[in-house]
Amino acid sequence: MTSYIIRRLINLIPTFLLATFITWIIIELAPGDFATQFAFDQVDENKEDRMRELLGLNLPWWQRYFVWLKNLFVDFHWGTSMMSKGDVTTLVIPRIENSMILLLPATIISYLIAIPIGVYSAVRKYSIGDRLLTVFSLIGLAIPNFFFALIVVALLVQYFQATGSFLLPTGGMTSQTFADMTRWQQLLDIGWHLIAPIAVVTLSSLAGLTRVMRGQMLEVLGLDYIRTAKAKGLAEKVINYKHAFKNAILVIIATIGGILPGVLLGAGTVEYVMGWPGLTPLFIRASFAQDVYVVMAVITFGVILIMIGNLLADIALAFVDPRIRY
Amino acid sequence: MSSSTLGKKTQSQVETKNLEKEVKGTSSASIAWQQFRKHPMAQVALCILGILYFLCAFADFFAPYPEASINPKATFQPPSQVHWRDADGNFTRPFIYEMKNTLDLDPDSPTAYQKIWTEETDTAYPINFFVNRTGLRESYVPFPINLIPVAIRKPLGNSMGLKAPGTLHLFGVDSPGDKARVHLWGTDDVGADIFGKILFGGRISLTIGILASLTSILLGMILGGIAGYFGGFLDEIIMRIEEALSAIPGIFLLLLLSSIFYPLNWPPTYVFMAIIVALSFTGWGGIARSIRGLVLSLKEQEFTLAAKSLGASTPRIIFKHLLPQTLNYIVVVASLAIPGFILTESVLSFYGLGIQSPATSWGLMLSTAQSFAGVTSLTDRWWVYIPGLFIFIAVITWNLFGDGLRDALDPRSRK
Repeated sequence: MTSYIIRRLINLIPTFLLATFITWIIIELAPGDFATQFAFDQVDENKEDRMRELLGLNLPWWQRYFVWLKNLFVDFHWGTSMMSKGDVTTLVIPRIENSMILLLPATIISYLIAIPIGVYSAVRKYSIGDRLLTVFSLIGLAIPNFFFALIVVALLVQYFQATGSFLLPTGGMTSQTFADMTRWQQLLDIGWHLIAPIAVVTLSSLAGLTRVMRGQMLEVLGLDYIRTAKAKGLAEKVINYKHAFKNAILVIIATIGGILPGVLLGAGTVEYVMGWPGLTPLFIRASFAQDVYVVMAVITFGVILIMIGNLLADIALAFVDPRIRY
Repeated sequence: MSSSTLGKKTQSQVETKNLEKEVKGTSSASIAWQQFRKHPMAQVALCILGILYFLCAFADFFAPYPEASINPKATFQPPSQVHWRDADGNFTRPFIYEMKNTLDLDPDSPTAYQKIWTEETDTAYPINFFVNRTGLRESYVPFPINLIPVAIRKPLGNSMGLKAPGTLHLFGVDSPGDKARVHLWGTDDVGADIFGKILFGGRISLTIGILASLTSILLGMILGGIAGYFGGFLDEIIMRIEEALSAIPGIFLLLLLSSIFYPLNWPPTYVFMAIIVALSFTGWGGIARSIRGLVLSLKEQEFTLAAKSLGASTPRIIFKHLLPQTLNYIVVVASLAIPGFILTESVLSFYGLGIQSPATSWGLMLSTAQSFAGVTSLTDRWWVYIPGLFIFIAVITWNLFGDGLRDALDPRSRK
């Protein structure tokens, strides 16, 4: 097992380098760079070129990739943001925290809801309840996240117009009076702002998750050992919840590593619509401004999460499923 | 030969004949069709999709106004009220009234400083069917012909003395100076008819899904086929790139790709194609991996060896013997990938990095709805959100149809 993990970890290195290099190429393919926006300065000539020199943008593109790589691995320096003149980490880390406090609870809640629903659907296949849930999940899968968020915001605004008070805030993470609040009030304020986006993310990820859980449970229920258990005359409940559920849930839990990137990047459009200061709005702003290091930092972060998530899922599956050899 | 054996023979002949009859009706296509018939929802979905694609293909005819028609005097006009009864309460043919707006200047009213739309009930304008609109810049090129690029179409039409400007619309209102305009679903921020815009935008939203799915599958088949069949160095390179691409968060990769062509101010056709390229660039990986696996197992089977020993060339083996075996899988994956691509395109356009105006797509319409409608007027202008309903319908019907197709083509998931 240890050698398998080490082998997999070593395997990650070329993937990481290739992924970041491909991203760098794509960024470089976009016309212009951060300094281009100063090209139209009529008064101060050559401002654009001086800007490039200062930012180190005058080197050839592939050299800058290796400079970036060297800075990252030798000095642990992620670069300086061109938009905000600060270190990239000071810009990105708060955004990561914001995304996480939105998505971590949403993910946990959606799992807690989806697992029982999926199991129920699978155990009572083609019952009225199962059919209803199937219809709901079909509908849920077809509603775009951002459209759902837009509707929720519209409904909240409607409530505000009708009653004159906010049921829930319609956007943002903090109230205007946030700076004057005590620590507890601040926490409560963020929590209050969290309710609507969490509900939207949870509901929109529920549809897919329920389907996965139902499918997994059905697959286990169709296996030979379940038939054996039935033939032995075991009670339906024991078969469903002791024999089948345990195996189905193991696979779900094992693949939970795979949702790691989703926990940080999974609600891009919801963050965008509801004004939540998460990673995706930052990424979009940075890619419009061609702030290379911020873009690279977010992507690198995503790449690492995806790689580690997949690795964790594979290792956990290998632990759980004795048929997998490594 | 005794008569009894003769009798037996004819009997067995009859039996084989019967058997032939039974066998005749069960080609793989007819099995698939039979299985598909068991899915009423998939059939309904197919019908809805057919209607949707038909409406969008002939959008010029079904929309009351041409695609470029805007009316700055009537931005965010609410949907036209279609009346069926005249002033005396008798049923008449459907008609509409002209709509006028005034600014509410009473600071105490709930609609203070907003546009108030009222109907001018003096003159009724009947809705006519099959109307010709022959105004300046109002003619259009009807559906199958508009797919031919202008550079070919123009000289060809001139040399043959053909001019195919369509002027016919399904319905419309005849009013002096176009005062009364029929907007079934209201107008948007530039005063364009939303009903028409949805049909025109559907052309892009609905075809992008199909084309992106086709190109990514083609790419996945070629690369996966090569990787699986040749193995070794090629396999290593292709699968390494696939692995690296799948490690980059998909939507971010897509946003970066579109920021390549976004600043170039390309014409809509180029942007359309660039989006398809970007979508298939991010979408081929999973397909390539599955195809590679399928080819790896297929190439070890006897028929491949037989083809090889008969002297078949490598491309012939790959394209004639191996890839057709994966066809059922491909069809299912393609149909289930389409709704995903439709959704992704709408997200991309919603971020403002997809389709650019003057072209339109459902995602872009929602994007302008969000940016122009403002927070307080979100509820007053509900009709700008109708495009979202169409994304929903397109995705759910494609999903249902794909599910039905999978059950029809995949023997393991048959009922």
